[in-house]
Amino acid sequence: MAFAWKASGLTYNRYLAITARVVRRSLKEQPRLQAERRGEMELRFAKWEKSKQGENKNLAEVNSADMAEHAGKE
Amino acid sequence: MNSLRVARAAARIHPSKFIAPLQRRSYADAVSDKIKLTLALPHQSIYKSTDVVQVNISAESGDMGILANHVPSIEQLKPGLVEIIEESGGSKQYFLSGGFAIVQPGSQLSINAVEGFPLDDFSADAVRSQITEAQKIAGGSGSEQDIAEAKIELEVLESLQASLK
Repeated sequence: MAFAWKASGLTYNRYLAITARVVRRSLKEQPRLQAERRGEMELRFAKWEKSKQGENKNLAEVNSADMAEHAGKE
Repeated sequence: MNSLRVARAAARIHPSKFIAPLQRRSYADAVSDKIKLTLALPHQSIYKSTDVVQVNISAESGDMGILANHVPSIEQLKPGLVEIIEESGGSKQYFLSGGFAIVQPGSQLSINAVEGFPLDDFSADAVRSQITEAQKIAGGSGSEQDIAEAKIELEVLESLQASLK
């Protein structure tokens, strides 16, 4: 099976996150406010080099930039 | 000549073999005609090994109905409706955002999805406004990634809109 999302460089994980996000946004006001908190990710990371902490980066942003870079290469 | 004797001997043995306990069924070995369904989201279990009659799922390989004693299989789910026919005869519908359905031996069915809600929780207006927005992005001149994401959203929203009708 050829999936359109795969051809554009997205991972299955990212695909699932998008489908889940759009489902949450389609909810009625009450359940939506409860559910949308689940979609937030605050993970940050930093690379350590020579005993020095590098720049503090947001994991979600770096991931999506990385996927955009690899888009259409498969 | 020899084969005739064997045949006769076999005929003599056979009748007695069939008189013996004629496949009596007790309560313990009666085959259940129910599926044990587990429908789990990361934050909630909707069903926990509950006996149900039938489950209809929309998998990437096609829509399918699962009854008891289904052949073991793994199916990737499309964003779509899952219908559960319960023992009481009533049916429940949930819209799942995507995940996997696993049929295990012994009539066990596990469905794992990221988000799942009953249809009553969805707002048709929210779906409609998101469709116009996603169409704009999909047809626009954004990055390849934005267009791909908008197309995924459109696929989900169209499936959702069809389910809500």
